[in-house]
Amino acid sequence: MEAAGVAGVEPTRARVLSLLAERWLFAFLALETLYFCFAAEGFANPNSLQILLFYGVEIFLLAMAELFVIVTGGIDLSVGYVLGLASIVGTKLIGALAGAGVPPAAALALGAALTLAVGILPGLVNGWLVAYLDVPPFIATFSMLGVCHGVSELIIEGVYAMGLPPLAAELGSGHLLYYAPGAGMSFLARPEVERGTEVWEIVPNVVVLAAVVIAALWFALSRTRFGRHVYAVGGNRDAALRAGIPVRRRLLAVYALSAGLASLAGLAYALKYVSGKADAGAGSLLDSIAAVMIGGASMFGGSGTVGRTVAGCLVIAVLELGLRMRGTPTFDKYVLVGVILVGAVVIERWLPGKGR
Amino acid sequence: MNEGATTAAELAPGSRGGGFLESRAGRALARNWSAWFLLLLLVTFSFTGRNFLSIGNFQHVVHLQTLPLLLAAAETLVIVTGGIDLSIGFVAGLASVTAAKLMQLLAAAGLPAGAVIALGAAGALVLSLLPGLVNGLVITRFRVPPFIATLGMWGIANGLALKLSEGFPVAGLPGALPRLGNGYVVYLLPGEFLSFLGPPAGFPEGRIREVWRLVPFSLVFVAAVLAALAFVLRRGRFGRHTYAIGGSVDAALRAGIDVRRHLVWIYVLASGLAGLAGVFNVFQTGIGNYTTFSAMYELFAVAAVVIGGASLSGGKGRVLGSAVGVLVLAFLQNGLAISGVQPFYRYIAVGVLLVIAVVIDKLFPDLR
Repeated sequence: MEAAGVAGVEPTRARVLSLLAERWLFAFLALETLYFCFAAEGFANPNSLQILLFYGVEIFLLAMAELFVIVTGGIDLSVGYVLGLASIVGTKLIGALAGAGVPPAAALALGAALTLAVGILPGLVNGWLVAYLDVPPFIATFSMLGVCHGVSELIIEGVYAMGLPPLAAELGSGHLLYYAPGAGMSFLARPEVERGTEVWEIVPNVVVLAAVVIAALWFALSRTRFGRHVYAVGGNRDAALRAGIPVRRRLLAVYALSAGLASLAGLAYALKYVSGKADAGAGSLLDSIAAVMIGGASMFGGSGTVGRTVAGCLVIAVLELGLRMRGTPTFDKYVLVGVILVGAVVIERWLPGKGR
Repeated sequence: MNEGATTAAELAPGSRGGGFLESRAGRALARNWSAWFLLLLLVTFSFTGRNFLSIGNFQHVVHLQTLPLLLAAAETLVIVTGGIDLSIGFVAGLASVTAAKLMQLLAAAGLPAGAVIALGAAGALVLSLLPGLVNGLVITRFRVPPFIATLGMWGIANGLALKLSEGFPVAGLPGALPRLGNGYVVYLLPGEFLSFLGPPAGFPEGRIREVWRLVPFSLVFVAAVLAALAFVLRRGRFGRHTYAIGGSVDAALRAGIDVRRHLVWIYVLASGLAGLAGVFNVFQTGIGNYTTFSAMYELFAVAAVVIGGASLSGGKGRVLGSAVGVLVLAFLQNGLAISGVQPFYRYIAVGVLLVIAVVIDKLFPDLR
């Protein structure tokens, strides 16, 4: 609307500005990557992408969880500790099943499924509190943060959860594809080669998992009725109600989805680090929300896309890895993510067509 | 909640039209439910926990809650305006580290201990106003939602504190610091002496545990700050404007209040209070502590404020109510620990209390 009005007065400038509004994030990401290619030794290497995706898996999944909630106009503070709880429950369950004589692959699948089922519970409670009792999302999900933290600590009694079968570690730090020049390639398992032979590891398994999930979420949010409803609920709740959308049920589903994704992130954590920890996701509150906001979503709901949120995650992941490789302590990362977060929101407000 | 309602309904059977919730007793109970709940906690733990009911334990709890009490007061100011400040926890850590670093520098420059402490603390306090100034300007000039602006500052303050401290607590500060931060007003050994501000000269260190030490400095300090804030918020023009903005920004604008300017002041004040909390923490611990992620000071401050009767939609909240909220959380932790219950239940209890607080807030929308 606004952009059209400006276009009548000064077409070129408006076109440039609206192009900038659409693309600034990708330009920023490109510039950032370019900078680290020069500034951080060893960053300009295809392997960097794999490394940053591997370490970023949890952030990607948590940001997706946060995206759906933010599109409805809410916020989910509990994702970090749901991640921690799921990492513990997953480790304990899979460990127990494997210990009871279930074959490792079956123990892994069954344990993961059970963990996801348990992990959705906090989300259902959040959704019930928010949708049916009108508790502000901030309060409801902070309460759930406390409950998840408490239950996690009760399960592990202040230590780590351990005891995953070796297969978990193989999967968690393994890759989809291995290629040994001259010796051929293999899927999922490292080929039997002599020590010291070069083996290319291509696409970590956990990244494949995250990519599949994110693709499904993209489809759900942009191509299905559910997705349209989620935007409608966040855009204008009254209008959504009048349009006959079951607002409360949709909110319940969104918070359950959020907890489910956080649990998936917890499982990914457990596989990657072969342990479960109550505060595994404690520092990720800033990252997960920042990724969504950098991706152009509005705090007030109704906007935000999966694609741009992925770009927001990449901005943070590139920054983290780049700073690490440059040898600057990651302390800088918190400062820069904070600045980029606020800067992104200011830019989104200032550019045309985004006047929300 | 229901439990409390039924028992009190029996006390006031004659409450007329609208049922118990509308009655004066019901409203009074709802308005101060956290205070009644605190009393209930104290009574319960007095039976279940050995040595829970003692001046020593109560002083200890309040002493350890100096930082949360100040942060909750800061958060109250912001929440009354309808905003939120997620940065205060890390601003406190940043101020603590800054004060310690400044003191190290001043001591290295050869200043006497008194000047080192005074200048270091004052310098850190002044610097701690800056995050709030930035928050306030970003929120009012660029119209960034407070949640986002202060979440950004959450990261910035945390990163700066970690950078300054290089990831370790800053030690090697003047030895007088912990004596100042952990001192008491009254020292009494029945039958031997009564002295103020310190034990009598020549009293052996080893026997200090026999002395009755009453009224910690931290209590006097916190009580003075909270009383001043409560006064400003309830009696002055500044307070009236704060509640007006929280009630309705439009109405406040029409009433001629410079809303932008006022909000900047609110965030500066909140940040300054967080700085005060961080600097006082240096006096208590003798080192500069950065804030860890799992501390979640800012979230517990919000929790205390909401339990204390404020509403996240603004216009409602009291400094002393928030202080009660902090004490509820603190005694819950202390009482559970003393009663031998796993302390982790505390986290779960916080969640339940918060939901109760919100439900009460919904049932009584017009309580102030």
